[in-house]
Amino acid sequence: MPSPASPAILVESLVKTFKGNIRALDGVSFSVPAGTVLGLLGPNGAGKTTAVRVLTTLLRPDSGRAEVAGVDVLANPARARTLMGLAGQYAAVDERLTGAENLLLMGKLTHMPRADRRARADQLLDQFGLADAGRRTVKTYSGGMRRRLDLAAALVSRPPVLFLDEPTTGLDPRSRSDLWAVIEGLVADGVTLLLTTQYLEEADRLANRICVVDHGRVIAEGTADELKSKLGGTAVEVVLADEATAAQAGDALDHVGNEAPVVDGTTVRISTTTGLATTAEVVRRLEHSGLPVISLQLRQPSLDEVFLALTGHGDLE
Amino acid sequence: MSVAAQSRFHFTQAVADSVSMAGRNVRRLSRAPDQVMFTLVSPVMFTLLFRYVFGGAINGLGDINYVNYLIPGIAVQTAIFTSGNSGFALAEDRSSGFVDRLRSLPMARGAVLAGRVAADSLSNAVGLVIIIAVGLAVGFRPHSIPGLLLGFTVLLAFTLSTSFLFALVGLYASSSQAVNAATFPLIFPLTFASSAFVPTSTMPGWLRAFANHQPVTLVIDAVRDLTLGNVTASQRHQLFAGQSTTALVVQSLVWTAGIGLVFGFLAVRRYNSTTS
Repeated sequence: MPSPASPAILVESLVKTFKGNIRALDGVSFSVPAGTVLGLLGPNGAGKTTAVRVLTTLLRPDSGRAEVAGVDVLANPARARTLMGLAGQYAAVDERLTGAENLLLMGKLTHMPRADRRARADQLLDQFGLADAGRRTVKTYSGGMRRRLDLAAALVSRPPVLFLDEPTTGLDPRSRSDLWAVIEGLVADGVTLLLTTQYLEEADRLANRICVVDHGRVIAEGTADELKSKLGGTAVEVVLADEATAAQAGDALDHVGNEAPVVDGTTVRISTTTGLATTAEVVRRLEHSGLPVISLQLRQPSLDEVFLALTGHGDLE
Repeated sequence: MSVAAQSRFHFTQAVADSVSMAGRNVRRLSRAPDQVMFTLVSPVMFTLLFRYVFGGAINGLGDINYVNYLIPGIAVQTAIFTSGNSGFALAEDRSSGFVDRLRSLPMARGAVLAGRVAADSLSNAVGLVIIIAVGLAVGFRPHSIPGLLLGFTVLLAFTLSTSFLFALVGLYASSSQAVNAATFPLIFPLTFASSAFVPTSTMPGWLRAFANHQPVTLVIDAVRDLTLGNVTASQRHQLFAGQSTTALVVQSLVWTAGIGLVFGFLAVRRYNSTTS
């Protein structure tokens, strides 16, 4: 039995080598406390999907340990499968069945009592905005509708642990934000979620903690804010009309921030730990200097910049 | 739960899961009936071609009407052709990711294959009925209803076992197109180097040796013997190398069971070991 303190998802030193000596997982470890969301962030081929496939019993690793809700997925895969839901990169629903038929089939195959299946299917169709489309074959659905049905199919048996492998890849911005809202609703209901994504914005919005994965290894871990602060925290950015005035502004702003201002083309960057006070001082000095300022902003580094710094290639495709 | 009660529970659940999967597969097939119909196109063309174009030139049948000789051969060919759908459909489910989803569910593993083969056997039965109806339309006259029904049973058992063979192909193939490409060279020599269209006695010795001993010929001969009825001793000698009806039926059933068991076992093993 799982102890109350054991994490809902646990992975320790997973190694998986594929044919041709490709090391998809090279000692990955992470854990997800119950009721939280972990974002596995990394470029294609980083090993995110391989890790999910091990956790969902689709793939046996060469070595390492994997647990879902306290159940060892390698020693007891049949039991582990009763505790998890998987929604994949490729919406794995049956195109020739209707939305309702897909959900009813999942109810049957997860051995729900007959009476509950219909009610659960209707409830999920409602919850995911598919009530009107439920009697149509999936072939007629849009990409966003398919993904929502795919997610609903993973939820039929109310699994406590959910794996979403790139849930919004290939969706238009509107469908993506719809799906995000749905996922946020699930998390609010107490589901533990492991989410893989190559969209930094997605990890930033949905995940409590983020593991950055590259070449089969976890290269950084923390909250989005922690990862961002690793890159020097907040900075004031001033854009000037040309490079000459930017250099002048750099001189004028000396000793304002923690470090010397960085001049890059027409932009001057002053890193700071006391955002507002520094901004006020920058504005005061610029006003005093009379230099023509085009824009001024206080900004945190984006996760993209964090990613770029961490992986050294920032190649998300 | 006792061990016995637990294994009984597992078995009941495996049957229930197989029925659920078969239901899903039948529903799918019923929504794309053209897919099943297209696999009947070539058997129908062969029927017309051999009945009306080549049939008149085929010798060695004594006083047996060629159409009565031909249709059992066409029916067995149809049984093999249509069972190719099992491989096609499995490959489709693999590449769409549906098999991955199923493998992550707490369902019986064997149910995916069992449900596939069960549903396909049902649709293959429909295909066989259609082909026999086409045969009747072009002059096929089985000797007796019981003979026809027995022959039909032999055909059904055979299509069930070849479904497992193609299921295995479907589990190895990289795509459903690859299944199609792989089935043709598999089907072609087995159905043409057999007694399907011409008596093997007209073939050169080396080919006759192969044709007389391969399972497709034995199944065709069993079905042919059952539907012709009243085969005389000299006809029996000429068509069936003198073997009795019982001998032909038993041999074809043994082959059928063997093919089903071997390829069923290999397919289950493959399904359990692959990841998509």
